[in-house]
Amino acid sequence: MSSDRTNEKTRSYGNRWTALGLFGAVAVTVFLVALDFRAMWLDPPIYPGPGVTGQARLSDYFSGIDGTAADTDVYFLEGEEAGGTALVLGGTHPNEPASSLSAITLIESAVVARGRLIVIPRAVHSGFTATDPQEGYPQVYHIETPTGVREFRYGGRGTNPIHQWPDPVIYVNGSGQQLAGPEVRNLNRSYPGDPNGYLTERLAFAIVEMIRQEGIDLSIDLHEASPEYPVINAMVAHENAVDLAVEAALLLELEGIQIGVEPSPANLRGLSHREWGDATGTKAILIESANPAQGRLRGPTTEALIVEGVDRYYIRAAELGLLYVPFGKEGSPLDERVGRHLQTVSMLLEVFSSADPDRTIAVEHLPTLGEIRQNGLGAFLAPPEK
Amino acid sequence: MTLIYQGITLIVVLLIGWHILRERRLTDQMEAALVLLPLILRLLMIK
Ligand SMILES: [Zn+2]
Repeated sequence: MSSDRTNEKTRSYGNRWTALGLFGAVAVTVFLVALDFRAMWLDPPIYPGPGVTGQARLSDYFSGIDGTAADTDVYFLEGEEAGGTALVLGGTHPNEPASSLSAITLIESAVVARGRLIVIPRAVHSGFTATDPQEGYPQVYHIETPTGVREFRYGGRGTNPIHQWPDPVIYVNGSGQQLAGPEVRNLNRSYPGDPNGYLTERLAFAIVEMIRQEGIDLSIDLHEASPEYPVINAMVAHENAVDLAVEAALLLELEGIQIGVEPSPANLRGLSHREWGDATGTKAILIESANPAQGRLRGPTTEALIVEGVDRYYIRAAELGLLYVPFGKEGSPLDERVGRHLQTVSMLLEVFSSADPDRTIAVEHLPTLGEIRQNGLGAFLAPPEK
Repeated sequence: MTLIYQGITLIVVLLIGWHILRERRLTDQMEAALVLLPLILRLLMIK
C-alpha cells in the first residue's frame, strides 16, 4: 500500500526533537488563534440614542446570572406620558443578524413619546462570543453609516459551549419536551427557564422574571430563518396575541409588506411565543425574516452574503419553487430585513395602543422599510467612535 | 460536570503528547499535533 511506503520513507525523520518542535508549533498556534477567539469576547459598542432614558443589567431581575457570560444589557426608552410597556428582544440567535441589528437601531434612533419600551439587543450575549463550528461564518460584518463604518458581531445559534459544557445527549426542557442535546444551549427552547438549571435556562428565567417584574404588556421576539424554512416572513403569536398580529398583518399588507400569522402551537414547548404568554400573561409574538446566510442551500458564506443577502443557489431554488419567500436577483439584504422587523414592531405597537388606549406605547423616529430603502440602514445608526 | 470533562480532556491531551514523544513516524507525529490543537483550546476554555 502506498501509505505503508510513505510511512517507511518518513520513519527515520521522527524523533524526540521533531516532537519537541511540534510541541512548540502547537503552543505558538494555540497562542495566535487564542488572540483571535478572545477578540470575539469583546462587545462591539452600542450608542444609546436620544430616546434612551435608562439602562440596567438583566441580572438585576435574577441574580443567578450575575457575573456570567449570560448577563446582558437592558435599555429603557420611556415617554413623558404614562402608558403601556413593550419588550423588544433581539439577539436570541446571534446567527440571525437582523434580530440584534433591529434592536440596536431601535436603541440608537427611536424616541418614545408615551409608554415604555424595553429593549435587549443581545439576549444570548454568550452566543455572540463564538460562531458555530463547520459553518464558515465570518466573525463580524460591517454597515456603512454616513460618517464611517460600524462593526457588528455575527455569532453562533446558542450559548457558547465554553460557557455551558457539556451538552447532554437528549435535552428534556422544563416543559418536558425532548430535544437534541445541543438545544440545551438554545434560549428559544429553554423558556420559561429554571432558576437552578443550565446557564441558558437561568437566562430564560431572568427574561421571564423581567417580563413579570416590569409588567410588560406586549413582548416581541425578533428572529430570522433560512429561506427554505416554512415559517418565514411571518409572526408566530400566542393565542392572547393572535388578533393583534392578524390586524397588524392586514395593515402591513396595505403598506406593501407581506407577512403571515401563525398561531403558536400549544404542544411546542420552551419557545418564547408559547411560554412568555403562558407564564406571565404578556402578549407574546415572534417575528421571522429570511436570512440566506443561515440556510443549508447557500454558497460561499461571506460577509457580503450576510449584508447583501444575494446567493445564486437561493435564486435557483426560488426559480424551482422550493422556497417559502420570494427570492430574486436582489436577494434578501440585511437592511431590508431590519426595515421589515422595525415596521412590524411599529405596527404591532400601533394596533396594541388603539385596542387599549390607556396602555398606549407611542414611538417616534422609528425608520420604516421605505425610509431604510431610501437612505440605507446606516443613516439610522449612530456614527462610529472616532 | 464541566470540571470532569476538562479533566478527561487533560488526560487525552497528556496521552497524545506522550504518543508524539514516542512516535517515530513524522507524519503520525504531525497528525497527533493537529489533534492536540482543539483539545488544548477547549482545555483552556478558549474555544
Ligand atoms: Zn431564531
